[in-house]
Amino acid sequence: VKNRLKVLRAERDWTQADLAERLDVSRQTINAIETGKYAPGLPLAFRISRLFQMPIEELFDFDDPNEQNHNPTRSVT
Amino acid sequence: MESTNDFPALCSAPQRDRHNQKRVILWSLAWAIAFLVVSFSIKREWLSAGWDVAAVLGTALFGIGTVVSYYRFLIETDELRRKIEVEALALVFGIGIVGGLTFWLLSELGIVSGKGFAFVFAAMILAHALGVIIGRRRYS
Repeated sequence: VKNRLKVLRAERDWTQADLAERLDVSRQTINAIETGKYAPGLPLAFRISRLFQMPIEELFDFDDPNEQNHNPTRSVT
Repeated sequence: MESTNDFPALCSAPQRDRHNQKRVILWSLAWAIAFLVVSFSIKREWLSAGWDVAAVLGTALFGIGTVVSYYRFLIETDELRRKIEVEALALVFGIGIVGGLTFWLLSELGIVSGKGFAFVFAAMILAHALGVIIGRRRYS
């Protein structure tokens, strides 16, 4: 799961610790999310979305490996 | 209670974790001390009939306190920390089951003494510490 957290945080001139405090999580969690090592659960994703006032889809980009198989527009040969 | 920007700010996650961890450590220490005192007392036959059972049940209460404080820590901690702890607990569970049953079979064969079960408990404690270290490295 890719995300724009680092860019959005930098735009606001916040440190990882600042963001962690605002989201009530540890700094390690912020670092793990930013580096893509950890995908946050729904409650935290919603808190991030509310903090940056952006929809979750604009914050996170999920490359679903099964998406191609379920794409109805894809022709079956 | 939440702050004006809708995000809880009264107690930051690391502060809350430290507080809960301190409780877990204190309960664990009390349990370990009670366990050592009671097992030593039973071995030396210091306790009369009835009191020995009461002492064992009293020790179990400290154990329950430890479990409850750890559960509270797990529920209130940051979600990544919880994931790391749960992964470490999976390792502990595996070692406890596999190690415990293997040790039991070996003791049935008379290869090891039944008292050596302490090694299995020690291995479980080490597995938890190792699991947490591995998890922290994986997500940092």
